[in-house]
Amino acid sequence: MAQSLELEGETTQLELKGAGDGRLFAIVDGVAVPVRLRQCFPWSEPHRHLSLRDEDDEEVALVEDPATLGEESRRAIEHALAEAGFVLQVMRVVSIEEEVEIRQWKVETRHGPRSFQTHLDDWPRVLPMGGLLIRDVGGDLYLLAAPGEMDRRSKELLWAFVD
Amino acid sequence: MNQDQEIISRYIGQPARLPTELRARIEREWGNQPVQLYALADLDHGLRLHESWLALGPRHVALARPAGNGVWNVHSVERAHIQAVQESPGLSANALLLLGVPDDPPLAVVRYTQRQRGAFENIRFVLDEALEGRAVEPTDPDRVYADAVARPVRDAQALVAGRQSAVILRLLRYLTRYRRELTLGLTAAAVVTLASLVPPYLAGYLIDDVVRKANEGTMARGAAATIAWIAVGAMAALYVLRQIAAHVRLRLMSVIGEWVARDLRAELYEHIQHLSLSFFSRKKTGSLITRVTSDTDRLWDFVAFGVVDVSLSLVMLLGLGVVLLSLDWRLGLVMTLPVPLFCWMIYRHGESLNSRFIRAWRKWSRVTDVLSDTIPGIRVVKAFNQESREIERFSERNEDCTDEANEIHKMWTTFWPLLMLAVHSTTVMVWIFAMPRLLGEGSPLSAGVFVSFLLYTTMFVGPIEIIGQMARTINRATSSAHRVFEVLDSEPEVRDVPEPVRLTPVRGGVTFENVTFAYDGVRQILRGISFDVRAGELIGLVGPSGGGKSTVVNLVARFYDATGGTVRVDGVDIRQLDTGHYRQQLGMVLQDPYLFHGTVLENIRYGMQTASLSAVVAAAKAANAHDFICKLGQGYDTVVGERGHTLSGGERQRISIARAILHDPRILILDEATSSVDTETEREIQEALERLIAGRTVFAIAHRLSTLRRASRLFVIEEGRLAESGTHRELLARPNGMYRRLYEMQLQLQ
Repeated sequence: MAQSLELEGETTQLELKGAGDGRLFAIVDGVAVPVRLRQCFPWSEPHRHLSLRDEDDEEVALVEDPATLGEESRRAIEHALAEAGFVLQVMRVVSIEEEVEIRQWKVETRHGPRSFQTHLDDWPRVLPMGGLLIRDVGGDLYLLAAPGEMDRRSKELLWAFVD
Repeated sequence: MNQDQEIISRYIGQPARLPTELRARIEREWGNQPVQLYALADLDHGLRLHESWLALGPRHVALARPAGNGVWNVHSVERAHIQAVQESPGLSANALLLLGVPDDPPLAVVRYTQRQRGAFENIRFVLDEALEGRAVEPTDPDRVYADAVARPVRDAQALVAGRQSAVILRLLRYLTRYRRELTLGLTAAAVVTLASLVPPYLAGYLIDDVVRKANEGTMARGAAATIAWIAVGAMAALYVLRQIAAHVRLRLMSVIGEWVARDLRAELYEHIQHLSLSFFSRKKTGSLITRVTSDTDRLWDFVAFGVVDVSLSLVMLLGLGVVLLSLDWRLGLVMTLPVPLFCWMIYRHGESLNSRFIRAWRKWSRVTDVLSDTIPGIRVVKAFNQESREIERFSERNEDCTDEANEIHKMWTTFWPLLMLAVHSTTVMVWIFAMPRLLGEGSPLSAGVFVSFLLYTTMFVGPIEIIGQMARTINRATSSAHRVFEVLDSEPEVRDVPEPVRLTPVRGGVTFENVTFAYDGVRQILRGISFDVRAGELIGLVGPSGGGKSTVVNLVARFYDATGGTVRVDGVDIRQLDTGHYRQQLGMVLQDPYLFHGTVLENIRYGMQTASLSAVVAAAKAANAHDFICKLGQGYDTVVGERGHTLSGGERQRISIARAILHDPRILILDEATSSVDTETEREIQEALERLIAGRTVFAIAHRLSTLRRASRLFVIEEGRLAESGTHRELLARPNGMYRRLYEMQLQLQ
């Protein structure tokens, strides 16, 4: 079933446009409304149930399945999804050291090397789709998609944090 | 380098400030106008980690991207062309867009992780304010950037972990005030060590130089007996001396440890009392309590035993090595060579246990998570009939945790017997090497030397164990010391000037002169508020949540100092006042009144310990509290429990009003004092408040506007500004006024 946008009782086909600079627009009554994408289930169902919200954070439309959108709209939403759902993907763990109140991590991510800190009593979260998610003290998220397939040293360092 | 910059360099691994040459170049391109704020955009368009900078000046914004070889491409945009600023937040990637003419491409787009968000929000705030026609001109971009980036780490751990030796030395300085006792304790410990070394030597001497000679007939039996008895007596005396020294050492060092822990606790608690409210908003209560209790207790253990044990074990091992090698270097080598290996094995064992401990800690947290979820939420569990599921969840985690603990037990119960076997193996090796020599083959070895040797070998185990665990002991002590020093090194943000003014008495006039306030120095919570309150006025503060009402009263109470402008009390700048003396003349009644564990009487007298019982009863009567207090089992002497949990919200509130009445403040702050009680209780509290406010300057925050009808004036605070002010009647007369709108909305809801 195609996604639709309900506006005061009328149902119209949802049309989306990407500006090529990171902005996404929903076409409402022929007017391009800038929207932001929020994943309703970033880990349980990252590619479906996407909430499109305007500048006041009001929902303009809820896209249950992008596959039902038109070609251009689907491309636009996929592009926006890549940005909104971006998290740093850890490929290798270089070191984990405990200090007084923080745990200091040095990792290699798919996007470059990174150091980050977690509270001592904050533990990696096991995701429904598998893998681990770590949230640092600044709020950034780090995804370890397959800890079991990492190099030996990373696995040794992660051993205490993985079941 | 300030502390925030140190945190950025040490932990975060990104530049602690905008590169100097880049900043100079941007400022040159702007016609020598200064960079006012900047932020690091750490993601590029392809969402790879990367370094770009966004800098804000009085008339420009510049985006600098690296062009390789240390060269920067700088693209400047005039602020006059910016028509909107938009931020798109994501899970970890955010984008800030500077928009010009509608439908045109953005003037600039930068992407950054959450770590940089505070710094970008500062820039966004200044640009948004400018678009609203309000100028904000930050003056210290390095400090603001470092504060924004380092804050999450600083809030988690307020200091950069220093070198262990420096921390231990600082801790040991607390011992210097007990120099005499410490010297005595250390001397006693040294006596214990030395006295332990003598008996094996004496045993060897007796066997070789007395018993053997007497048996061979080279010494008269009488003389031999005399020497032997003297030696046995000396040995007995040594053991007695050793135990006396051990008693002195244990007694003195544990007492000194207690004194040091007491001093640290006292210093810590006193310092905590003087810290500003912002410190408490950053730190969890539990974490502060732990520092005063568990951490100081752990430091007692370290000072009382760790310091002496570690240093004496080193001396003991060294002493044993020297004695054994000097007795017989061949057997000495057999015994001493494996010692470093044993210490290393214990260290490695500790390290591998450490990973196990982290794992067990994580699993234990999962158990406590279930408890802290379900016990406070037991009504929901029962209402949804989820008891079986919760029992299963707990059992599974409990089992998992037990398995992990048993793994730890398996490790140490295997390791220690094996280590002892290795230690005993060296003794066997000593026998293997010694036996032929005792039987006359090779270089001779006397029975006495051999017996001494055997006795010395038994003394190796204790020091090896202590040295092997030294790293762990020192780590634990350093962590605790760090936690304690972190608090001691925190500076109060509100401090008195060297010769503060005492207003005797405070009359109660409060003036705000163009007051601005920002917790982070940029994003303003109050934006240029000015008003003049005469002594004795009742001022109602109204407006939407988050508008700045509480910040106004926090500044009146001097919990914080204004970032800009001046707050005056009776015409004197509040920063010039003696804060303690000023607060004695200030009272507060809060939405959630806080009662201390103690009796009703102690709680009412909290601000005035010397008040007579008659004065207490009079205050309670004025607060409409006397009747219910008399109905309590033990009247005014009833213990109210922790935070007054044995009383209802309305009863706690009336006790807090009685406390305020007895305190007799000149300036009174009522923060939603009646919002969480039923109508009948509210009526009683309202009556009590009316008695309380008579003759004082009162700032009252209330969402129920009807409670403020009697206010002398009402201040409507919205988005940090004084949007409207006047009497209830005057404000209602404004056709499009905010107060009128809020009032009508509340009437409709009723």
